Amino acid sequence: MALIPTNPQWRGLVLLAIIIVVLGVLPWTVNNYWLRIATGALMWAGLACSWNMLGGYAGYINFGQSAFFGLGAYVTAFLMGDPFGLPFSATIPAGMVVTALCAVIIGAPTLRLRGAYFAIATWAFAEVLIQFASAMDFTGGIGGIGLPPYLNERFFYFAMFGTAALSYFLTWALFERSRFGLKVKALRDHEPAAEAMGINTALVKLQTFVLSAVTASVFGAIFAYWVTFINPKSVFGGDITDQMVVMVLLGGLGTLWGPAIGGVALFVVNRLIWMYWGDTAFYIAILGTAIVLVVLFLPNGIAGLFARRKNDALDKVLDKLVGSGEGGHP
Amino acid sequence: MSGGMQSAADPILSVRGLFKHFGGIKAANGVELVVGRHEIAGLIGPNGCGKSTLFSLVSGTVIPDKGEIRFDGRAVAGMSAHRIARLGLARTFQIPALFDNMTVTDNLLAAAAEGHWQGAYERAAETLSLLKLNHVADNRASDLSGGQQKLLEFGRAVMRQASLILLDEVTAGVHPNIRKIILEAIARLREQGVSFLVIEHDMEMVRNVCDRIIVMDSGRVVTTGSFEDIVRSSEVMQTYLGRPQ
Repeated sequence: MALIPTNPQWRGLVLLAIIIVVLGVLPWTVNNYWLRIATGALMWAGLACSWNMLGGYAGYINFGQSAFFGLGAYVTAFLMGDPFGLPFSATIPAGMVVTALCAVIIGAPTLRLRGAYFAIATWAFAEVLIQFASAMDFTGGIGGIGLPPYLNERFFYFAMFGTAALSYFLTWALFERSRFGLKVKALRDHEPAAEAMGINTALVKLQTFVLSAVTASVFGAIFAYWVTFINPKSVFGGDITDQMVVMVLLGGLGTLWGPAIGGVALFVVNRLIWMYWGDTAFYIAILGTAIVLVVLFLPNGIAGLFARRKNDALDKVLDKLVGSGEGGHP
Repeated sequence: MSGGMQSAADPILSVRGLFKHFGGIKAANGVELVVGRHEIAGLIGPNGCGKSTLFSLVSGTVIPDKGEIRFDGRAVAGMSAHRIARLGLARTFQIPALFDNMTVTDNLLAAAAEGHWQGAYERAAETLSLLKLNHVADNRASDLSGGQQKLLEFGRAVMRQASLILLDEVTAGVHPNIRKIILEAIARLREQGVSFLVIEHDMEMVRNVCDRIIVMDSGRVVTTGSFEDIVRSSEVMQTYLGRPQ
C-alpha cells in the first residue's frame, strides 16, 4: 500500500503538508545560528516570489524591486522610532500603503515601457531612493537608522514563514487559479492580442506591479525589525534585486515553486561560502556563473525540469522513496 | 455596382473618411466602407494596400489620424482596443498572435476572461469540439502546427461572443481539412447572428463564403459588389494586374 497517494494533486498536497510541518517544528530542533539562516532563506524565497509576480507571470523585468523592500524597511524604522514609537504590527500596513502609492506613481508611466527600457526605468527609481535616503535627515542619511531591538529569533522566523506562505498562496490563488492570472499571462505572451481580447492590460500590469511591490515591502519591514539597523545600501541596494532575479531564473521564471527553490538554494550557498571562506565576495562569482549556466542549460529553471517530465522525474523519486500505488498513475 | 442593401440600411460597422499615414506611406487614405448585420463581407486587394492596417484601426490597435469609425452605432475611432473588444468586436491577426506559453484551453479561457466569464469552461469545451482541437487541449499553443494555430486564434474570437469578427487571412496556408472546419464554423456563427469582415486572397473561398466583396487599393476602397460584379470589373483587374502601359 502506498504511503503517498498516486493522484498528482493529492501528492502535491501531501508534500506541502510535510514541508509545512517540517518548517513549523524547525525552530525547536535547531540552534539560533541555523534558525537565522532558515529565517533568511524564507525571506529570500518570499522576495523571489514577489519579483516573480511581475517578472515571471507578466514578463516585465523589474530591476528596482529593492526600492519597495527598502520602502517597507524605512517606513517601519521611521514609525517605530521617535517621535512616533508605533508598535511593529502597526508599521506594516503603513509601509504597505506607502509602497502601494509609490508603485502606482512609478508604475503608471513606466509600465508603458517594455523590455530593457522598463528595466532601466525601475533600476533608476531604486537609485533615486538610495540617493534620497542618503541625503535626508529623517532617514538617518548615509549612516542609516536604528530600530528598537527585539531578540526573539522564533518571532522573526515565523513572521518570515507566515509572510512567505501568504505570498505563495496569493501567487497560487491569483496567478495559477483565477481569471486574473489568465489575463496576466496573456499580456505576457502577446500584449496586443490580450488587448484585442478585451483585457485592460495597463490596469492588469499596474495591479500586478502593486501586488509585487507591497509583498516586497512587508519583507522589508520584518527585515528592518529583525536586523535592528538599516542604511540606504542595505535595503535599497541593487544587489538585492540582482539576487531576486537570479533566484527566480535558477528556480524557474513564471512558475509557482521555482522562486522558492532558487531562493533557498542560492541563500544557503551564500551562507555556506561565508561559513567556509568567511567572505561573500566569491558569492558574486557564483551568481554570475549561475546566470550563465541557467541561460545556457536551464532556460526554464529547476522547476522546468520537473514540469518537462511531469509525472516522471518527481514521481519516480517519490515512488522510490515510498513505493508506487497499486493502481498506478491515473 | 451594388453596395449591399442590408449593409447600407443597418450597418454593424461603418467607416467614413479614415486616414492613417506612417511617414510617407498612406496606409489608409480616406477609407469608406460598411458591413451589414449578419453579413459576411470579404476584403480583398493587393499586398500592402492597407487591409490589415484597416483591421488595426477598426479594432483600436492603431489610432487613426482622421475619420469616423462607428461600431454597432457607437463612435469608436481612437478608443482603446480593449474597450472596442468589450463592445463586441473580435479579431484575428495575419500572423497568429497566440499566448504561446499557455495551453490551448487557457488560450480560449483567456479570451473569455474579460466580460464573458459566465459559462466560460463549458464554452471552451464546445469551442474545442467545434474546431476539433480536443486532442491538443492541454498542449502549449506554441507546440501546435501552423494550421492548428490558425484554428486556435479563430477559436479565441469565437469565445469572445462577438457581434462582429474581423478575420485576417484565417485560412491562408492551412490544410483543406482545417479550412473546412473554419468555414463550417463561420457558417454556423453567421446563423447565430455574427457578422464577419474577412481579409482573404483565396478567391475560391471569397466566392463561396462572402455575401459581398470590398476591394481596396492604395489605402482606399476602389469598389464593392458581388463576386460576379467584382470579377467583371476592369477596375479590379487593373488593381490586381496593373494598368496597361
